[in-house]
Amino acid sequence: MKRLVPKKPIWLAASAAVGLVGLGIALWLRSRNTWNPGRAAGVVFGAAAALLVLTSLLYPLRRPLLGFPFGTAQRWTQFHIYGGCLSFLFVLIHEGFRLPSGTVGWLLLILSAWATLSGLLGVWLQKWIPALMAGNLRVEAIFERIPELIAKLRAEANALVEGSSEVLDRFYRDDIEPALAGVQVSWDYLVDVSGGRERRLAPFGRMAAFLTPEEKPRLEDLKVLFAEKLELDAQYSLQRALRLWILVHVPPSMLLFGLMLYHITVNLYYR
Amino acid sequence: MEPREATDPGNLSRSFPHALAQPENLLTMEELKELPIFAELAETLLKKIQPHVLVAEYRPDDVILREGEYSDAAYYVARGVVEILLTQLPAPSGPETARREPVVASVAHVAEHLLGKTARERAIGRAIAEGGTIILSDMPSEFRRDRQILLEKGELFGEISALSRYPVSATVRARTDVVSVLIRTPALRILQRSAPKFKEFVDRRYRERALAVHLRHVGLFAACDEKFMRNLRERVELVSFEPGQLIVEEGSPAGAFFLVRGGYVKVAAKSGAADLALTYLRKGDYFGEAAILLEEPWPFSFTAIDSVELIKLTRADFQELLTASPQLREDLWKVTVERLKQRGSAIRHPIESEYLQMAMETGLIHGESVLMIDLNTCTRCDDCIRACADTHGGIPRFIREGFKFNNWLIPTSCYQCTDPVCMIGCPTGAITRPIGTTEVSIDPLTCIGCGNCSRRCPWGNIINVPYSHPVLKKEIQLATKCDLSLGREQPACVQMCPHGSAIRVSFRDVGLLPRLLPTVD
Repeated sequence: MKRLVPKKPIWLAASAAVGLVGLGIALWLRSRNTWNPGRAAGVVFGAAAALLVLTSLLYPLRRPLLGFPFGTAQRWTQFHIYGGCLSFLFVLIHEGFRLPSGTVGWLLLILSAWATLSGLLGVWLQKWIPALMAGNLRVEAIFERIPELIAKLRAEANALVEGSSEVLDRFYRDDIEPALAGVQVSWDYLVDVSGGRERRLAPFGRMAAFLTPEEKPRLEDLKVLFAEKLELDAQYSLQRALRLWILVHVPPSMLLFGLMLYHITVNLYYR
Repeated sequence: MEPREATDPGNLSRSFPHALAQPENLLTMEELKELPIFAELAETLLKKIQPHVLVAEYRPDDVILREGEYSDAAYYVARGVVEILLTQLPAPSGPETARREPVVASVAHVAEHLLGKTARERAIGRAIAEGGTIILSDMPSEFRRDRQILLEKGELFGEISALSRYPVSATVRARTDVVSVLIRTPALRILQRSAPKFKEFVDRRYRERALAVHLRHVGLFAACDEKFMRNLRERVELVSFEPGQLIVEEGSPAGAFFLVRGGYVKVAAKSGAADLALTYLRKGDYFGEAAILLEEPWPFSFTAIDSVELIKLTRADFQELLTASPQLREDLWKVTVERLKQRGSAIRHPIESEYLQMAMETGLIHGESVLMIDLNTCTRCDDCIRACADTHGGIPRFIREGFKFNNWLIPTSCYQCTDPVCMIGCPTGAITRPIGTTEVSIDPLTCIGCGNCSRRCPWGNIINVPYSHPVLKKEIQLATKCDLSLGREQPACVQMCPHGSAIRVSFRDVGLLPRLLPTVD
């Protein structure tokens, strides 16, 4: 439930107010005259949408700009989210809530909707996945370092089974070593963050029955390493999902901006 | 004792043997016995202190101690003459200061007027006596503007700074060739425990030079008049406790009032079978008032977290002082009520004490500005690292790896400790903390890459990076650490976190922790 609560309600309230005022003005004007996207209020809303899209696209500049003009990156993010949503509303108002007639118009509408919805999906993912990781995974690792950490775990496991009994050695070579070979990425972690940990650790319990008491601590250590590897897989998969989402959002947004420029240029030229 | 030859090219071991911890600078048992200061000590005691006593040699104009820095040793002048200098001279005590505090006006109060900082923030262990004489708490002499202070053979200085972890109150420079014996803090503590005469000597010096200054910085006594302070100064006893030692047990008869002059004290109360951590006390805090005022057994237990130095006042003396100062009694009642409320609240909400417990166990209590990342909202975008690197010429000053507690990650980043041990013994004075500020920073041009600070940091938060030194004209391992993005409005990591997940927490504000650091719901 907490994931649905906005972090900064003031931004939501301000954006809702701006949106409602814009909507009210548009509906009032539309009731008095025929709405034309290329004239008067239509142009104003179109320009406002374009300005908001442009400012939202400046989001990556927040660091070089030292947070200017919002002061902090968090405020930049809030502006990016709410400004992006408002821009879509203004696109709809600009169109007069009618379906576009031409190909470019359709593309602009689809891309605007895509950029907005994928952005909102990203907001949700960015609230959901970190909480999922913080609440369920004990291991925390830097994404780029995970393959290296897994290689270290593998080396540790190899050293651990050296000189062990044939039973333990075979169990390790057949069932454990392949899983330690590298990162195993899976979307399943989004559904079950444990990745079936209990099920995957169960063979260790069964194997214990076949080992001498002296070898059991070695099996326990191996189990700890394996459990850590499973957590690293989960970390990698979930952090990767957070990174991949950008690909769903950013390229279409860039395309939208390009088409928007084309749309503005053409309209200004042929007007 | 003959001066030793310099063995390293940078002459570091000559001037700063404690920085490099070179065993050849230790004194032999025979050399120790020859020193008048240790003449009467038993051989067993000398053996105990021997690993912590070193000899250092200085040439004329060599700086031995720098004002504002921290020191982990007392200095005994075995040969030569040293000079005391004040680089940050306080303003003369004018009529205004004199009116406010008739006899002793702390430098901190003067600084407060000049710089708008509170007295407590700027405390550096000095006081101004009548006529403009400056009492330097860790020096055996008073500073007059019109007079030089020279210390000669047989003098001891710096012991109070080393024991109480106050910044050094003055710069000490060699006037001639000097041979000095450094008695490091562990040796000082051993001597305090086992050599009554040495303890008496150090305590007397503390009582005369530092106690008044320290008491003045305790909010409770800030407004008390000089007669009251003199009375207090004469009655107190100075006591020390080892790490983990129980100072007072909950339920035992109330017998004394304590002021913390060094170290950290854990306050706990029994809740069922467990000891519930309620808070911790640090330099300038006090305890014991509740039991005496309520005339009941101790409602809390107090344990030394590390080496603790306390000022103790017996119940009878304390009550007498309270009778003499009704205002103090009233203030203490308020504090007592507040503390008992806090105790009740902690017992009702035991989960809130987990942060305190964690802070005490991990050493975070030393942190004045600890970077903490809420993993519940952090998207692992690493913008914090990039922003830090942008601010520091491409080299980030922290690693987004560290220990995890609940949903919080405490990355490998400087805590800006209250008593920064990294500042002890920097050969060039490259690592500094301007008085009254939080950030400890390293000047890359002055750092010579000796690694003293990174070795001393108990948390491994100072990282050495390869650096082509423009002055030394060679590759060195430059010590780098978080400097809170010096010069920026706020630390870059916090400012540039797009989700507000990176925060800076001062573990001085213990009461705020549960609110600042909510657990995962």
